[in-house]
Amino acid sequence: MTTPKSEENLPLSGIRVIDVATVIAAPYCAGILGEFGADVLKVEHPMGGDICRKYGTPTQRGDTLAWLSEARNKKSVTIDLHRREGVEVFKKLIEKADVLCENFRPGTLEKWGLPWETLHEINPGLIMLRVTGYGQTGPYKDRPGFARIAHAVGGIAYLSGMPKGTPVTPGSTTLGDYLTGIYGCLGVLMALRYREQTGIGQYIDAALYESVFRCTDELAPAYAMFGQVRERHGPTHNDFACPYGHFPTKEEGKWVAIACATDKLFARLAEAMGRPELASSSLYGDQKTRLENRHDVNEIVRDWCGSLTRDEVLKRCYATGAPAGPLNNIADIFGDRQFHARRNLMSVDVEDLGETVIVPNVIPRLSETPGRIRHLGPKLGEHTDSVLTDLLGMSADEIGELRKKRVI
Amino acid sequence: MPDETIEATAPAPNAAELPENQAGREPDAEPKLPMSGIRVLDLGTFLAGPHAASVLGEFGAEVLKIEHPIAGDPMRRFGTPTKRHDATLAWLSEARNRKSVTIDLRQAEGVQLFLKLIAKSDVLIENFRPGTMEEWGLSWDVLSEANPRLVFLRVSGYGQTGPYRRRSGFAHIAHAFGGLSYLAGFPGETPVVPGTVPLGDYFSSLYGAIGIMMALRHREKTGRGQVIDIAIYESVFRQLDEIAASYGLFGKVREREGSGSFVAVPHGHFRTQDDKWVAIACTTDKMFERLAEAMERPELASSALYGQQRKRLAARNEVNQIVTEWVGSLPRDEVLERCLRCEVPVGKLNSIADIFEDEHFQARGNLVTLEEPGLGEVVIPGVVPTLSATPGRVTNLGPALGDGTYEIMRELLNISPDEIKRLRQRKII
Repeated sequence: MTTPKSEENLPLSGIRVIDVATVIAAPYCAGILGEFGADVLKVEHPMGGDICRKYGTPTQRGDTLAWLSEARNKKSVTIDLHRREGVEVFKKLIEKADVLCENFRPGTLEKWGLPWETLHEINPGLIMLRVTGYGQTGPYKDRPGFARIAHAVGGIAYLSGMPKGTPVTPGSTTLGDYLTGIYGCLGVLMALRYREQTGIGQYIDAALYESVFRCTDELAPAYAMFGQVRERHGPTHNDFACPYGHFPTKEEGKWVAIACATDKLFARLAEAMGRPELASSSLYGDQKTRLENRHDVNEIVRDWCGSLTRDEVLKRCYATGAPAGPLNNIADIFGDRQFHARRNLMSVDVEDLGETVIVPNVIPRLSETPGRIRHLGPKLGEHTDSVLTDLLGMSADEIGELRKKRVI
Repeated sequence: MPDETIEATAPAPNAAELPENQAGREPDAEPKLPMSGIRVLDLGTFLAGPHAASVLGEFGAEVLKIEHPIAGDPMRRFGTPTKRHDATLAWLSEARNRKSVTIDLRQAEGVQLFLKLIAKSDVLIENFRPGTMEEWGLSWDVLSEANPRLVFLRVSGYGQTGPYRRRSGFAHIAHAFGGLSYLAGFPGETPVVPGTVPLGDYFSSLYGAIGIMMALRHREKTGRGQVIDIAIYESVFRQLDEIAASYGLFGKVREREGSGSFVAVPHGHFRTQDDKWVAIACTTDKMFERLAEAMERPELASSALYGQQRKRLAARNEVNQIVTEWVGSLPRDEVLERCLRCEVPVGKLNSIADIFEDEHFQARGNLVTLEEPGLGEVVIPGVVPTLSATPGRVTNLGPALGDGTYEIMRELLNISPDEIKRLRQRKII
């Protein structure tokens, strides 16, 4: 790996992104672009700003930790788009932008006089990411959508939980937001590539529920071909492979995950358990046999895990190359050598808070042009003056006038 | 096929000046797509990494799946079997838009052949245990010498560095290690699978695809490729909003939240009278006000009662109880209708059967049907995201093992039919 190169050499240096979206999904796309060199302007309502500032655990500054982490690298510019003068200032920004990220309900931009046609006319090379719960088309397009709803509609909430029990949150309520932000970001990067070859911008229509549904492996083809409706499986997933699940260890509350996707991996587990005969063809050597005898196989693994401490289970599995890992909580993660070696936890000083905030570092890791975190989420309107002055060439008087009228 | 790959091996300064996929290329039959002219070698197995190739393929890249001549990708055997002996349904869907090319990389001649392909490709994707490619003599140094413009995505359970890099990793392990599985389930009870087993495979692939796009941009400016290193567990951990920040600052360990959420109330899954489920997400006070209206109890949203998130979080059980009772008193359709009338964020907990009946899925084209010889119709999830000028497409389902080997050897590498026959006999391809 080489040393980080200068700012000018990052893949998105020179790209300007206007993030007029809220909460996590579309803003996360802008966040990733910013980590790799784009200049991201967060355009917010002058009163209150992005509701992500209130989502999660508040800090003394008022803004939450989620905001500090996920609005990383952005500049905050306040503009009231409900006002005609605000829309005029916004149009000037659009002229100078490459990417616009928005997540209003379909029709909102249009109401403000900012339909795609107008934006495209102002700046034919503009790329717009539109994220909504259900997309820009279809019968549900006007319904409000959050990731929680998208997990339900997209089919993964139904699959989370104990068999026949209450369906639970699939780990985190915001998974679908991140997932849509990533698919959206890929769309933006492809559109940028196309623009470089043709000069033409376009928009990307991303729905939260769609990105969730896209990640459901063969759920759809198996229903279509065999009428098979997948149900909740609790801690084990026995449709494809066995043993494949979560197993409690001797220590209260400490679990391990084991994933024997292939026969070879089961042989390694049998060896780790000190019972290599289990992987013989007369016993459980074949995936098919294990699936047919899933209760017996799971019971054997459960008994073994339950007889040892978590560290001991893992040590024995690692020794034979059996696929196992701890169910880490965040305290485990902070103590983990791999997280530290990979610098997955990044400490960033937030001056006006007088605190160091620890946030997840940039992924993926690029050898020549690694991304970076320059600062965490800005204060509301922190960069309004500098952007209007430097980028739009507005005078102090003009800015003062807009502020007096609460347009910015 | 004639293509830009001559340019791909040309000296960097020249290459950097050219628009990358236009040099000397024959017009494609299909309209130009963002990734047209990019050749991707997918050397991965299962899904972590290969899904990146799928997305690039949906948007125009040519994807060659490089597989062992006998065994092929184990994904061919993972999931529900079909009448096609080399393809489960998971393989058919997730190996979409590829040609299969067999090469045995455990044989020296296979490695040489592979390097010839590298010289004519733009992107390489692998997900072996770190060190495996190096054992075969395919280190980054060797690869980038064969093609200085190569972009190389490496996906593994724990990444290419750090003390655990050699451990085998699957998404299921990465969900656990990355902190997601710990959070799925009821407080103090069994942690469950967070929805589906391969989520982390998709996450890591998507981050990998973003890395590839960034690296291709950088290559256009400089003529040089680079390595993208992503661990599956990292892609899982990255999705967990402020969990790290709040532990770091306040020592707060997030626990399992059942069907709810730590940030908002009511925000969860509720059972309807007809024994079905709905999700309701009152992320803001305004949303709760709408719900109170839908429940015909607007007073609940008054500041004296539960008007503020802070108060609802403090009275979590009472608020959830009120919603549980109301939802439980009505059939699912009625709950949805009343909530939607008041613009409450609400949705069905769809099973796959519900999804197939849903008019919105139909209208958005989320279910794509392809005809597969010998199998009939196969329904798979369509392309996301939707691009207005250059929408992606699915051209074919997971290929038969080695279906593209001859074409690639003959036409791309210009190997004679006799030589191809010899390579086959020696099981190198």
